[in-house]
Amino acid sequence: MKNFVRSNLAKHEAILLVVVIAEWFYFNSVGAHFGSLDNTFDIVRHSVEIGLLALVMTPIILTGGIDLSVGSLLGLCAILFGKLWRDAGLSPATAGICTVGIGAVAGGLNATLITWLRLPPLIVTLGTYSLFRGLAEAITRGVDTFTGFPASFLFLGQERFLGMPAQAPIFVCVAIVVWLLVHRTTFGRSFRAIGFSPDGARYAGLPVDRRIAMVYVLAGIVSALAAIIYTARLGQAKADAGTGYELYAITAVVLGGTSIFGGIGTVHGTLLGVAAIAVLSNGLVHARQPREVAGMLTGLLLILALSSSVIPKIFARLRARRQTRRHDKAPNSKIQAPEKLQSSNTD
Amino acid sequence: MSAPLLQLNTITKSFDAVRALKGVSFTLNPGEVHALLGENGAGKSTLIKVITGAHQPNSGTIEINGQLVEKLTPASAHKLGIAAIYQQPALFPDLSAAENIALGLEPTSGLRRINWAQRRAQARDLLKRVGADIDPETEVRNLSMPQQQLVEIARSLGKGARILIMDEPTASLTQKEVELLFGVICDLRRQGVGIIYISHRLEEIFAVADRVTVLRDGESVATHAIGVIDKPKLIRLMVGREVAAIYPPAQTAPGQVVLSLSKVGCTKSQVHDVTFDVRAGEVFGLAGLVGAGRTELARMLFGITPTDSGTIRLNGETIQIHSPQQAIDHGIGYVPEDRRRHGVILEMSVAANATMSVHRRIFPGAWLRFGAEQELAKKYIHDLSIKTYSPDSNVNTLSGGNQQKVALARWLATGPKVLILDEPTQGVDVGAKAEIHKLIRNLAAQGLAVIMISSDLPEIMGMSDRIGVMLGGTITAILDGKSADADAVMAAALGQTQRAGEMSAQ
Repeated sequence: MKNFVRSNLAKHEAILLVVVIAEWFYFNSVGAHFGSLDNTFDIVRHSVEIGLLALVMTPIILTGGIDLSVGSLLGLCAILFGKLWRDAGLSPATAGICTVGIGAVAGGLNATLITWLRLPPLIVTLGTYSLFRGLAEAITRGVDTFTGFPASFLFLGQERFLGMPAQAPIFVCVAIVVWLLVHRTTFGRSFRAIGFSPDGARYAGLPVDRRIAMVYVLAGIVSALAAIIYTARLGQAKADAGTGYELYAITAVVLGGTSIFGGIGTVHGTLLGVAAIAVLSNGLVHARQPREVAGMLTGLLLILALSSSVIPKIFARLRARRQTRRHDKAPNSKIQAPEKLQSSNTD
Repeated sequence: MSAPLLQLNTITKSFDAVRALKGVSFTLNPGEVHALLGENGAGKSTLIKVITGAHQPNSGTIEINGQLVEKLTPASAHKLGIAAIYQQPALFPDLSAAENIALGLEPTSGLRRINWAQRRAQARDLLKRVGADIDPETEVRNLSMPQQQLVEIARSLGKGARILIMDEPTASLTQKEVELLFGVICDLRRQGVGIIYISHRLEEIFAVADRVTVLRDGESVATHAIGVIDKPKLIRLMVGREVAAIYPPAQTAPGQVVLSLSKVGCTKSQVHDVTFDVRAGEVFGLAGLVGAGRTELARMLFGITPTDSGTIRLNGETIQIHSPQQAIDHGIGYVPEDRRRHGVILEMSVAANATMSVHRRIFPGAWLRFGAEQELAKKYIHDLSIKTYSPDSNVNTLSGGNQQKVALARWLATGPKVLILDEPTQGVDVGAKAEIHKLIRNLAAQGLAVIMISSDLPEIMGMSDRIGVMLGGTITAILDGKSADADAVMAAALGQTQRAGEMSAQ
C-alpha cells in the first residue's frame, strides 16, 4: 500500500512536471520573449516569496495543520523591517536579523496557541491572519511606506549574483534544508506520523507538541525572510505586502500532491506546484491575456490535477455500468470497478 | 421445518487473483443462532458482505425464505430483512435512542410530517422487545457500549430484520454485559429471528449457538450442531492443526521487584491508592470490569495522564513519569488497547512503525538511516514471525494479529524493563492469539516485567502469575494466578469478596 501511495504520488509529480513543461512550450510559442533568460529570471524573482511560503507550508500541512497567517506575517515583517532600518537606524543586515527573530516569535505565538490551548490551527491562524495584518496597518496608520533603501540592500531583490537572480541561492538553500528536514530526518517522519494520527504519534512517544511548534516557528522565520526579499525586490515596504500569499502557497502545496488531511506529500511536489503556478501567471502576460485569467486557470489546474487520479476510475466505472446494462444476465464483473474506486479512495 | 431463512449455495468470490470464497454453502434456519468461526482472513467478512449485498458473488446462488434472489444489493438485502451489527455501533451519537431507532423505521411517504410521538412509542416497544432498560430520550453518546448495541439491535428489528448478523458483538463488553446480550439473543431466537454470530471467543459460541460453521482459507470445512463438538476439535478445524497447550506455562521463577507502586493515584482518571509490585520475569494480570480503571492506570504509568499522588519506584529508585517520552526513557513500554488508533500508525510502513519509539537510538543526530531501519524491521519480522509482504508494506495491509505484533515490535525495540499490554489479543484470531501468548511468556522469561490487562477471563487466568483485580479505580485484590479460580476473580471484580482468598492490602 505504501508502494501504491508512493507510486501514486510519483505519478502525480510526473503529471505535474509534464504540465510545467507543456506550459513552457506553449507560452514560448505564443509569447515572443517568454523563453528569454531575462524572462526566466523574472519568473524566478516573482515566485521566490510565494515559493518560500509554500516550502514551509508543506511540513505544516503534513502534520495535518494549516497556516493562514503567513501572508499577513510577511506584511508585518516588511513593515517592521522598514521601521527598524529607517526609524531605529539599524543597518539592513541587523534589521534583517531582528526581523527574522520577530518572525520566529510570531510563529511561536501560533505554535503556543495551537499546542497549549489545543485550538485548531485553522482557527488560530485565522485569528493571527487578521492580527498580524491589523498590526501592520496600525503601525503604518495605513499610509506610511518605507522606501529609499540603499542599493546594497536592493541588490538582494533586483540584481544578479553568480549569474542568477540574487534571491535564487537563498531559495535553493531553504528548499534543500526543508527537503532534508521532511525527507531525511526523524522530524519529517514525526510530521507524517502526526498528520496520519496525532494520538498514534503520542502513544509512540513522539514529542508531538514540540514537533508541531517547530513547523509553525519555521514558517514564521521563513515568512520574515520572504518579507525581506519582497522588500528588496520592490524597493518598498507597505502594510499590504503579501496579501493573499497564504492562499497561493497553500494552492502550490496541494497542487504538488500534498494531502490536506496530512501525512502524504513531498517537498519536490510543492516545488513543481510553485513552478506550475509561476509559469502560468507569467506566461499569460506574454500571451496578452488579462490577469484574471491566471487565477481562473490556476483554479482549473488545481481541480484537474487533484482529480487526475480519480478520472480514469470514473471512466472505468461508467464503462462497467454500460457493460452491465448490455449483459444483464452476467452479474460477475459489474461491481468490480466501484469497489476498486472505494478501496483506493481510502489511501 | 419451514424453508430456511437464508441459503447460500456454493458461493465463490474472487478479488483480482485472490479467491476469497471457494464454493461456500451455508444455511440459516428461523430461530437459529448459527455461529461462523474462522481465523482472520478465512473469508468471514467476505461472506458477510455477500449476504448484506455489499459484494456480488462470482458464482453460486442465494435463496432467502426459499426464494432465489437474482441480485442482492445493500438496498434489496435491507428490504429482505437482513441487518448487520458490528463491533462498533454505528449510531448517531447526538441523537436520542428513540430518534436513532426511528431513523431506521420505514420512511413516511413524500413530504408528510414525521409523527414523532408514534415513532417514539414504536421505539419504546422495540427497546422493550430487546430487553433494554434505557430511557428512549437519552442521547446515544451517554449510553454505554452494550446499551448502544441494544439500541442497534432494536433499530435492526424496527427495520423488520429477520436475519441478524452479529460481528464480534462482545468484543468490548464485560462478562456481565455479555450474559445480558445472550439473554436478548435467546429472546430473538424465540421470536423466529435467525442470527449469524461471529466471535473469536469459543466459550461464547458454546454458550449461545445452535450450530457452528468453520471457515478456513475461503472454504467451509465443517458445519456441526454445537452439542456434538468440543473446543479442541473446533480449534483444530479452524487452524487445520493441533494447538498444543493453549496457555504456555511460566518458564522461570520471578526475580527482583522491578516496578513498585505505592498508593499511586490520579484525580483526573479517578484512579486512587494503587499499590502493587511487579517482578522481573513475572506476568502480572490486571482483571476487572470495563471502567474499573485498568486502562487509566496503564496510561498513568505511561505518562499520558500523569499520576498526582503516591510513589512509583523502578528498580528501587523513585521516578516521575510526566510524558510518554519519560516513560520510554525509564524503560516502560505500553501496547495500547485501541491498536488501530493508538498502537500503530496504519498508513505508515511496518519499518517506520517498528522504529517509531527508538528514533534517538536508531537515527543518531535525527538523520534517517534506512539501512539500519530495514535491519531492525527485518529482525522483528523474523523474531515475531510477522506476516508481511515487505518491511515497506503499510501496516493497514496486515491482518489484526500481525498489526498487533508490529505494535509489540515497536516496544521490544526500545528494550523495555516493564511492558504494559492492554488487551493484547482483542480481535486477534486463535492462531495469532496463541503466538502472542507464547511471545509474552518468552519476554517474561527474558526478565521483562509484564503487566497484562485483559477482559478475557480465561486469558487472564491462563497467563498471569498473579492477578490484580481492579474495582472502582483501585486494586481491591491480588490473587495468585495458579490457585485462583475464575469465580474468585469475577467475584472480586464485582466487589463481592466474600471469600476471595488472598485478599491483599500489601
